[in-house]
Amino acid sequence: MQKIFNLACGSFYALGAYVGVSAVGWYVGAGGPPALFIVPLALAGLAAGAVGIVIERGLLRFVYDRDETFQLLMTFAIVLMMEDAIRLTWGTAPRSTAGLYLAYGQVQLLGATTPVYNLIVIASSLVIAVAIGWLLTRTVFGRIIRATADNREMAEALGVDIRRVYAKVFTLGTALGTLGGALVIPATAAMSEMGIELIVEAFAVVVIGGLGSMRGAFVGALVVGILRSIAISVYPELEMLLIYLIVIAVLVARPRGLFGGAAA
Amino acid sequence: MTDTQASRRQFLKLLSAGAGAAAATRLDGPPAQAQATGPVKIGVLTIRAGIAAPVGAAGLRATEWWAERVNKAGGILGRPVQLVVEEESNPKDTVERYRKLVLQDQVEVVLGGISTGVTLALGPVAEDLGTPWLSWDGTTQKGIEETMPNPKWAFKSVDNEVEAIVAGILTPKYFKGVKTVAGIGNDYSYGHDCWESYQAVLKRYNPDVKFVLELFPKLGVTDFTSHIAAIQQSKADLLMCSFWSGDATIIMKQAAAVGLFKTMKGVFTTAGGVHDSLKKEFTPEGLLLGYNTMYFDDPKASPLLKQFVREYKAKHNEYPPYECDHAFFNAESYKVAVEKAAGAGKKWPEKAQVVRALEGLEIESLSGRRSWREDHVQMCSFYQGITTHKNGYDFVTISPIEVVSTKQAMKPAGSKLFEWINGWKV
Repeated sequence: MQKIFNLACGSFYALGAYVGVSAVGWYVGAGGPPALFIVPLALAGLAAGAVGIVIERGLLRFVYDRDETFQLLMTFAIVLMMEDAIRLTWGTAPRSTAGLYLAYGQVQLLGATTPVYNLIVIASSLVIAVAIGWLLTRTVFGRIIRATADNREMAEALGVDIRRVYAKVFTLGTALGTLGGALVIPATAAMSEMGIELIVEAFAVVVIGGLGSMRGAFVGALVVGILRSIAISVYPELEMLLIYLIVIAVLVARPRGLFGGAAA
Repeated sequence: MTDTQASRRQFLKLLSAGAGAAAATRLDGPPAQAQATGPVKIGVLTIRAGIAAPVGAAGLRATEWWAERVNKAGGILGRPVQLVVEEESNPKDTVERYRKLVLQDQVEVVLGGISTGVTLALGPVAEDLGTPWLSWDGTTQKGIEETMPNPKWAFKSVDNEVEAIVAGILTPKYFKGVKTVAGIGNDYSYGHDCWESYQAVLKRYNPDVKFVLELFPKLGVTDFTSHIAAIQQSKADLLMCSFWSGDATIIMKQAAAVGLFKTMKGVFTTAGGVHDSLKKEFTPEGLLLGYNTMYFDDPKASPLLKQFVREYKAKHNEYPPYECDHAFFNAESYKVAVEKAAGAGKKWPEKAQVVRALEGLEIESLSGRRSWREDHVQMCSFYQGITTHKNGYDFVTISPIEVVSTKQAMKPAGSKLFEWINGWKV
């Protein structure tokens, strides 16, 4: 909506991961039951999204009307600064939540052992996707967001306070990133450069799906994830090549992506 | 000479150093006796950012511990030690920082260097600038081939592939009947070198073994779900993994989540580098785990190692990994070499005299006896063993502990790696 290609989304993901590790560490240290660790984890992830309002009001609003190159440089600067800030706060060693990943056990699914936690994260993602879809299509705020994305000047002329809308939308987006980072952390480990790794994949996802399209992001993520898995099993050397061949094909044949419409 | 003149001269030295290595060298080498009084300046190159930062931090901490200890005991030949720390990043910038250490800071020796890519670039510069450089962990190998077979000023770490060779020797001892092996390592020289060396060694012991899958994800990947699915699908008897950073912890956790090691043996050649993150909840017993050249919990540890582990834990709330030993050895061997070269007269020696004293020098390091081979390569012992939960920590340790010397597991000076391995009598 803000027409900014935000590289810092990866940093929000990393921040959420670190805040999640700390929150769970504090929770377990305080004697909280392990079975409920997902509650402080998710709450901490959401709370870390508050950094979004600071970055939007403190930095990004100054480059909304600038050239896209300025915006890219600004968000890349945020990536580098947040990487150092994370390193200063949490140190250089990878951080993880010990064995909580298996706190909910494992189930046999289609002949494969699957951690129940993975299923919880998949279900959470679907719930969040449906909730965002509902917010955008069924609420007044959603209509304002869509109207602002379509035509900022017109929305402003009709009385929409653009500054507040931008701040809210950016903070919501940041909170989704930090929540994602927090939820993924029991299955992996937090590393300060994990944000950059994510940006590269996210780039492929949005190009395939279509910039600005929620359905596109959903389908793009599935395409990238499934293709990677198939490539690793069949011909591992092609893992990255295959994804970026598709990115190039989409850029050439359908530059707006699979679901990117005229409004994107 | 006025201060202004001195500064201008130093500036010109730096300028010409940047213009070209060969010219810079011969014209601008600092005088060997520049600082025969006052503190001994020691340059340290370490990585404090990025994925290798935990390794760099450990090396720096051990060097600082050494410096504090030396200064408390009166310094080197009565001169206190002063560390000048610079960042190791990409090869180009690190080379410039190396020049700065030697030409501007006028250090007596440079310690450090972790990444192979960086140390390949540093080697020739060290030779040109004529100041001893003792590398912690990078080598001046390209792949498995020596790029600097006869260095004068550069002192190299052990070969990259040694821990994979040690694991290859120990695999048939602990995992009998292995017919198929899958491998995973990072997609750069270390990962590929380890895999190739491991295969070559295992083939010597078990010519019928089949290598059914090899995966090389990028350094820094945090999701190995697809890789683990491919490993399961390969139905290999054993997985060999040479991850050494946070990715070792992640793959262990994600493998445990799908019960990978209930049906498969596991060899983690280098994961001991992040040993205290390998929690018991997700790291099974029975894996072969490598700690590189220092094992913090060695029941036969020297009083020096026990003291170091105790103080490191108290200060940093972590148990020290192997890089501490590399760093301590380099610093301590420099001190011993200076004292040896000074002789009874205790006159501060020329840098070339220190280099000669280092060649063949054997000293007591954190991990025991450790030495410099005549061709400037470190000789030491590697620690690997079978993971166990029977300890007082929340992470795994190893028992039994296998100690394999580089005399057995590193190619001798001047030989070719695979010719050497294929010549073994097993």
